Amino acid sequence: MVRTVISIILSAALLAGVAVFENFYVQKQFGRLETALTALEMKVRDEEANRTDAETVKTLWEDEKRKLHAVIPHNDISYIDYWLGEAVSYVETKNYDDALSKIEVLITICEQIPKTYSIAFENVF
Amino acid sequence: MGLIFLRTAIIFVALLAVMRMMGKRQIGEMQPFELVITLLIAELACIPMADTSIPLLYGAVSILTIFLMHQIMLIVDLKLKPLKAVLGGKPSVVINKSGIDITQLKKNNLDISDLIESMRGAGYFSLDDVDYALYEANGNFSAMPKEKSESEEPSVPLVILEEGKYNKTNLEKIHLNEEFFDDILRKQKVKKRRNVFIMTIDGNGKIYMQCYGENYRAFRAPLPEGISW
Repeated sequence: MVRTVISIILSAALLAGVAVFENFYVQKQFGRLETALTALEMKVRDEEANRTDAETVKTLWEDEKRKLHAVIPHNDISYIDYWLGEAVSYVETKNYDDALSKIEVLITICEQIPKTYSIAFENVF
Repeated sequence: MGLIFLRTAIIFVALLAVMRMMGKRQIGEMQPFELVITLLIAELACIPMADTSIPLLYGAVSILTIFLMHQIMLIVDLKLKPLKAVLGGKPSVVINKSGIDITQLKKNNLDISDLIESMRGAGYFSLDDVDYALYEANGNFSAMPKEKSESEEPSVPLVILEEGKYNKTNLEKIHLNEEFFDDILRKQKVKKRRNVFIMTIDGNGKIYMQCYGENYRAFRAPLPEGISW
């Protein structure tokens, strides 16, 4: 009986801990990427962005996604890979209009993905 | 992960409720919550294992949630008796001194043939062989036999009338017709055939009959010459 109660408390604590960690971690990682993308977006709007700026965002993402694979489905990560790859290539070729649209999509994805993992009615059901 | 926990817990509770509502015939030697766990755990382990796009952690969280639910069910089972009956069910006495309890039978989504099958599984071939019979909460069938006072040739009882309808296959087997049994019903003062829930007869002419809302009757009817099985 005591063992059962202890196991309930431990597993509930573990689950709650993992849930809280996931929530904060995903938000923090995507928040950081969103900040970097917003900075890149400003530079693209001013037509000042260059290959190094785009590569910096890509490097940041490459570093973050390695850990994110453990907590979110890999399909979500590959969306970002796809859109970021295109945005970087447009920045490199100085095609700022197309790059801007890709970056805006990326910013939206960064806002949306953490929401899909939050405990909300629409996500539960 | 909080989402996975909630979704797993919801599916667990939903499955448990469905299993409880399905009645005892769906269970089979397990408590309802044990069956739910058996149903869920294999899939939960399999999906993240086979689908590489899902983090393995999702499977671990689901399985840990199932474990947590299991432990909570154990506590409920041991400590909260009123809730235990709600979650795990309680035994249903389907045969008592008055005969078959039709309400209990229906409540568990069972019919008379299921009951007869369970009786045979337990080694009783006549409904009249037992004083009490019950389905345990885990779906097992238990029966308390009647003390035998008379010794006679063993004979398998056959269902003649079931929920007001003649079993034509069995009538052909024993070479008797509906009129023969209609006559018995008249002698027993049964006004309408559809009032009969069950009537069985064995090769010695021993009849077990129960009408809706009445106690069972066991009596003998002389079989025509040359008819026995």
